[in-house]
Amino acid sequence: MSTQLLTVSGISKSFPGVKALQDVQFELNRGEVLALVGENGAGKSSLMKILSGIYSKDSGTILFEGQEVDIDSPKTAQKLGISIIHQEMNLMPHLTVAQNIFIGREPRVGIFVRERLLSRQASELLTRLGIDLDPDTLVEGLTVAKQQMVEIAKALSFDAKVLIMDEPTSALTVAETETLFTLIEALKATGTGIIYISHRMDELRRITDRVTVLRDGHYIGTLEKADFSIPKVIEMMVGRPIEEGARPTTRVREADDIVLKVEGLNTRSLLKDVSFELRRGEILGFSGLMGAGRTEVARAIIGADPRTSGTVEINGKAVSIKKPSDAVALGLGYLSEDRKQFGLLLEQDVNTNILLASLKDYTDGLGFVHTNKGKQTSRRYVDSLRIKTPSISSTTKNLSGGNQQKVVIAKWLARDCDILIFDEPTRGIDVGAKEEIYRLLNDLAAEGKSIIMISSELPEVLKLAHRIIVMANGRITGVLDNEEASQAKIMDFATRMGHEKEAVQL
Amino acid sequence: MNASTVDTRAPKIVDPETKKTRSVSNFLQAKLQQSLAFATLVVLLIFFSFANTAFFTWSNISGILLSTAVIGILALGTTFVIITGGIDLSIGTGMTLAAVMTGIFLVNMDLPLIVGVLGGIATGGLMGFISGFNIAVLKLPPFIATLAMMLIAQGLALVISGVRPIYFTSVPDFKQIALGTAIPGLPNAVLILFGLAFIAYLVLSKTILGRYTFALGSNEEATRLSGVDTRRWKIMVYTFSGLFTGIAGVVIASRLDSAQPQLGSGYELQAIAAVIIGGTSLLGGRGSILGTLIGALIMSVLINGLRIMSIQTEWQNVVVGAVILVAVFSDSLRRRKAIF
Amino acid sequence: MKSRTRVAVIAVAAAAALFLGGCASGSNTAAPAAGNSKELYIALISKGFQHQFWQAVKKGAEQRAAKLGVKVTFEGPASETEVDAQLQMLQAAIDKKPDAIGFAALDPKACIPLLDAAKAAKIPVVEFDAGCDSTVPLSIAKTDSKAAGALAADNMARLIGGKGEVGIVGHSQINSTGVERRDGFVNQIKAKYPDIKIVDIQYGDGDHLKSADIAKAMIAAHPNLKGLYGTNEGSAIGIVNAVGELGLAKGKVTVVGFDSGQAQMDAITSGVMAGAITQNPIGIGEQTVQAAYDAIKGKTPEKIIDTGFFWYDAKNMTEANIAAVLYK
Repeated sequence: MSTQLLTVSGISKSFPGVKALQDVQFELNRGEVLALVGENGAGKSSLMKILSGIYSKDSGTILFEGQEVDIDSPKTAQKLGISIIHQEMNLMPHLTVAQNIFIGREPRVGIFVRERLLSRQASELLTRLGIDLDPDTLVEGLTVAKQQMVEIAKALSFDAKVLIMDEPTSALTVAETETLFTLIEALKATGTGIIYISHRMDELRRITDRVTVLRDGHYIGTLEKADFSIPKVIEMMVGRPIEEGARPTTRVREADDIVLKVEGLNTRSLLKDVSFELRRGEILGFSGLMGAGRTEVARAIIGADPRTSGTVEINGKAVSIKKPSDAVALGLGYLSEDRKQFGLLLEQDVNTNILLASLKDYTDGLGFVHTNKGKQTSRRYVDSLRIKTPSISSTTKNLSGGNQQKVVIAKWLARDCDILIFDEPTRGIDVGAKEEIYRLLNDLAAEGKSIIMISSELPEVLKLAHRIIVMANGRITGVLDNEEASQAKIMDFATRMGHEKEAVQL
Repeated sequence: MNASTVDTRAPKIVDPETKKTRSVSNFLQAKLQQSLAFATLVVLLIFFSFANTAFFTWSNISGILLSTAVIGILALGTTFVIITGGIDLSIGTGMTLAAVMTGIFLVNMDLPLIVGVLGGIATGGLMGFISGFNIAVLKLPPFIATLAMMLIAQGLALVISGVRPIYFTSVPDFKQIALGTAIPGLPNAVLILFGLAFIAYLVLSKTILGRYTFALGSNEEATRLSGVDTRRWKIMVYTFSGLFTGIAGVVIASRLDSAQPQLGSGYELQAIAAVIIGGTSLLGGRGSILGTLIGALIMSVLINGLRIMSIQTEWQNVVVGAVILVAVFSDSLRRRKAIF
Repeated sequence: MKSRTRVAVIAVAAAAALFLGGCASGSNTAAPAAGNSKELYIALISKGFQHQFWQAVKKGAEQRAAKLGVKVTFEGPASETEVDAQLQMLQAAIDKKPDAIGFAALDPKACIPLLDAAKAAKIPVVEFDAGCDSTVPLSIAKTDSKAAGALAADNMARLIGGKGEVGIVGHSQINSTGVERRDGFVNQIKAKYPDIKIVDIQYGDGDHLKSADIAKAMIAAHPNLKGLYGTNEGSAIGIVNAVGELGLAKGKVTVVGFDSGQAQMDAITSGVMAGAITQNPIGIGEQTVQAAYDAIKGKTPEKIIDTGFFWYDAKNMTEANIAAVLYK
């Protein structure tokens, strides 16, 4: 039996106006983990969709176990033993775990589904994979991480020879990621070949055997484990070297004005006694595991969720914020972690998006919008934030993630917000564009804007934040100055689930 | 519902204890709407029984059940469509077309009773099939496809009947379908309603069609990517629902002993209202046959009770509208709670 | 985002459904084949076309048109609430410049400007069934609905022996025939039969099924009910069905109906229904076309043409003068 499981060569794929893939190649062996990396838009997803039968290739060959195959539908891919775990959740939330795993392949007698057998099969599969889940729970009641586990179980239930994982850990906690890695090791041992797509460089070193890099739809190269380093991979991805491990160069002084003071914030379901201060020109990092309550703090402050108690002061004055429009009126802007759902009108043009929050400034008493003045403003921000867009009348949907994020930032700047809360500002943005966002945040702070940055990426927090607040279970468990902070320290505070609170004040 | 909208803010760290309570409370939430609807029904029954002694008599109760039959049968079928996240506006006038076709088969063509009845039911199925095809294959939005079908069915019913009722006097047995009493004191239409409810329950919760009905409404794209032929199953769902429309057509024709071509418009909204009161979500993925049955009963108990109390017709409409609002509001309230 | 859009779509759609649902209008054209290119044309705008009553009016109009050698068109909205749709039909009719217009008003005020427009266009207008508050129309052919309601009351009183409880299943609390047939009945009972009590009035929109359920609820709520009066065909047949479904002995509840149609005639023959008031829809159709024809020819038609109404029951149904005004 040859070790080569999958050989892909000369793959090209065009969409109207875009060449998504040009002459791409890679090989996958039995029992190995091949990482596929590249910036967003490099063509990873298109390639995987071709392998799983969702797209058809324009040209090129796919050899599966030495035989040329034509993968024309998801069903064909399944039959060959190629399973994919999509980046976006692909579960039916209203069905149970078991029903999800075996959707389309239910054991049945005539038209009737053998529900108990279905449940038993699922239970056996989950046990075999070491996943602790009740097969009869509804998926909608599960955490995102558990849902991810269901996806994995579903993919593996096909007796997959090739398993494709697209950003499987993006929603997982550290512990859950470990469980996943253990699972991957076990699968490797049985000869399954795994294609692993990830933005997280540290993971690659942990689990992959080889790394194939794509850039702009082209194959760039493949590195063996022995000779890869993270800077090298990133260099191949972006085509230029990138600095690592930087820390903020500016400092925030105690003499700087306190612009935002939150005291004793509580919500019904999660937050307990959250208090902190934000100074002019400061970037305040919020760190913690997912679900620790960071986003909830932001939402409670801006009035998106009800609070049970707590006071907010802006520039030394107590303010009453009952709904998000109150917050905006006070110059407090919130940039949601989910840009597409909450931050942007994707179908509208850049100009509309930038002016959305400040439309009143460009509207006269009769309700007419003065387009030209507004367009000038939009152009100014497109220039100053270096938003890469053909024009301000381009549809926002067509911009890259990083540029979309900049549009959201421009929207709040146009509204004259002095306090900006960024929730995962670089999620889904590729490495090169991240650097731009970082520079932008630093510039904003230097201009005297105050920034709260909620981020799950520790290097990012360490690089930018002057101070770091760590949360766990709805409480603040630690406040660290940048100099004393380290990834280890932050993780220590982030995992303090109990009631011990060890605030390290400035 | 798009998977990415599903509760991305849910806590990611959950110990086994809370996981268990979550799934239990989840189960309770699923049952809540049903039990809420059931409680509403019981409260209405008790209230009207005290308000007027004529209410809780066998004759009136069997009258309520009979008046539930037509809307109830339509509602059962359309529950499937609504669970897929679709809608079918053609069931009201489609029912009328099925009734007219039954009349054509039995009276004008003088076919045997069973053939005429099956023909009427098949008419409903065919309309469902066409709507399903337009939605699944031609990708028309369900609202538009079935709105068109609603108008087509209404027009055809008038054209085919020559804008006059078709009387079944030449087929004396036809009336027995709805009004015969296999069980003394209980019209057959009621038995048909409950029989169909049982079948619908089996199909929705035990068969492959039911499974894919939920899957389509829950996440159609994911279902398709899982290798399920979603187009085929969607057509099946609309066809299946169409058969219920056809049966409703036969039942209403039998009860009126005539096919009245101008009836039917507006029945679809009553049926949809019954489905919604029963806790089925217009967004798809969620719903139950028992809920629909209870929803339909709530509507007819409410209307009958108000009539018995001699409440003005105008106010009857106001009350029914308010009940729909409360039902949908409580449903959305429940959903909002589920997020936190 | 997606789900929110969907909710919005559904909401808009539901509104559209309510709107469009009733909007399908039908038009039926009947043109006697008189090859003459100068053939006179009379446009009739009715209140509806789906009910048997309107079909009979149409039949009468066509009969008279054939006799006079003129062309008529007959159209009306799908339901008697669509005032707007009817006005559009009237406007379209004026635009076609017919030789005369026959019109039955759904709303007595909304039609005024259009009738003025017809006058300006020198198109003579006659009315039937229900009038417009305008001086333009030359005549109206109609039934005196209040008097007809009173006749129903007299017969009801006679049949139940002048005392007891009765209920009314109406077909509309808004349009004029519904209101007048009800008021004619109610006023007559109040004025002449002090021992009869009207215990309930409810409305079933002329929908057979809804009317049946209403009648059943009334019978349940009022065990001593002696009589039920249905103000149009659908209401009356609903009552008949209710009595049948409840298996009441014949005559336990005296049923008085309105209009004719196969089902009512059968119910009267079988004795479930005691009798009914019939109008003369064929006569209305004939008289309308005749009045329009006269107006075209420069004659002044009678201002009010009472086309009459009749009580019919099992005894007189087959008499020639009654059989002539009944329609199936």
